[in-house]
Amino acid sequence: MSCTLGEVKNRADFIIYWGGNPAECHPRHFTRYTLTPKGKFIPRGRKDRTMVLVDIRETMSAKAADIFLQVRPGKDFEMLSILRALVKGQRVSPEGVAETGLKLEQLQDLVNRMKAAKFGVLFFGMGLSMTRGKHMNSAAALTLAAELNAFTKFVAMPMRGHGNVTGADVIMRYTTSFPFGIHMGRGYPRFNPGEYSTIDLLVRGDNDATLVLGADPGATMPKPAIEHLKRTPTIVLDPKVTHTSRLSRVHITTAATGITAPGTVYRMDEIPLPLSPPLKSPYPTDEEVMRRIREAVQRKEPWYPVKSDAPQMV
Amino acid sequence: MTTSVMPEPAKRELTVVKNAVCTFCGCVCDDIELHADHERIVETKRACNLGEAWFKNHTAEHLYPDALIDGKEATVDDAIEAAADYLHAAHMPLVYGLSNTTCEAQREAVWLAELVGGVIDSHTSL
Repeated sequence: MSCTLGEVKNRADFIIYWGGNPAECHPRHFTRYTLTPKGKFIPRGRKDRTMVLVDIRETMSAKAADIFLQVRPGKDFEMLSILRALVKGQRVSPEGVAETGLKLEQLQDLVNRMKAAKFGVLFFGMGLSMTRGKHMNSAAALTLAAELNAFTKFVAMPMRGHGNVTGADVIMRYTTSFPFGIHMGRGYPRFNPGEYSTIDLLVRGDNDATLVLGADPGATMPKPAIEHLKRTPTIVLDPKVTHTSRLSRVHITTAATGITAPGTVYRMDEIPLPLSPPLKSPYPTDEEVMRRIREAVQRKEPWYPVKSDAPQMV
Repeated sequence: MTTSVMPEPAKRELTVVKNAVCTFCGCVCDDIELHADHERIVETKRACNLGEAWFKNHTAEHLYPDALIDGKEATVDDAIEAAADYLHAAHMPLVYGLSNTTCEAQREAVWLAELVGGVIDSHTSL
């Protein structure tokens, strides 16, 4: 269950940030969408909203919060489960509560506030979705938000990082029906994170060529993954010569998205926005280079058997 | 140093783009006002410190070679052919990244992955 940031601005009176530091990573999130703006049903702006921050340490964002809850590292799932139990009025074990590093009164107070909210939002960041428990944590956060709808309107939204990663999810979803980690080797899409996710493929050394577009894994990935990128042919499209370019066989410089290249990008709430680049690049765009690589592959013999009377892929 | 890079204010003709879109983080703020001369963005109104750094870090200058094959300068045409050769020859190619690019390019990436029978994945899986 999610919504747009416009709805958050106009309606949300209770905002939780979990495992994220918007003050430093999404600096205008507070002022443009969530905390300070005056909305249609939030006439007094910040005064009409309550903000809770859940994180393992007191970040810059804690200054903006009304309530800061410091959860013990790696205990997010436990805390979410206790909150879900409290929402349903079930008993929770004191040992379980102690494990989260918080007091039962604090958690009960949070639950009371969540239920009393007119419109609550739970924003969760990589501190929740990329730490111990990973997608189970995200699932628990989404379930908590969904279950709160028995009492009030409550939504959850991931705090997406890099510019158009939301667009990648949307495009892959509507073209293949899956959001990421998709294998087309059987001629139809199969989805299996853990098997077809990049780090796992590279660390195991499953793939035998890589095309990198709009990313720099050479700077961020674990060493075995980088070694595999070096060992096998890697192709990089990037506005700059990156770490990955240096270990690749082919690098093509492209125009920078939104600065010299036009196109569309998705905001984290899945609102598509057209770009208006102010500069003209001496380099081709990603779109043009990708199209030309695709056309060059299309001119070659297909890797799959084709009957002469079968319809051709166009 | 500054004077050699920046033209005299009187001579500089600035293009002003209102409601420009910043693609640095997931907020994708679309209320930025950009002032740019022919080569670089000189002013970023309403952008945050991350956005300002992002806009000013990219220019329209020809700073890098058009393409590199095995670390040596090459033409884009040759690089595209080489890329197509590698991807076509591979049994299980991977198309990865897709964050810092447009939806139009992402669609092409999905098409390419389908065509070569490979894997396609984004930063979401990290």
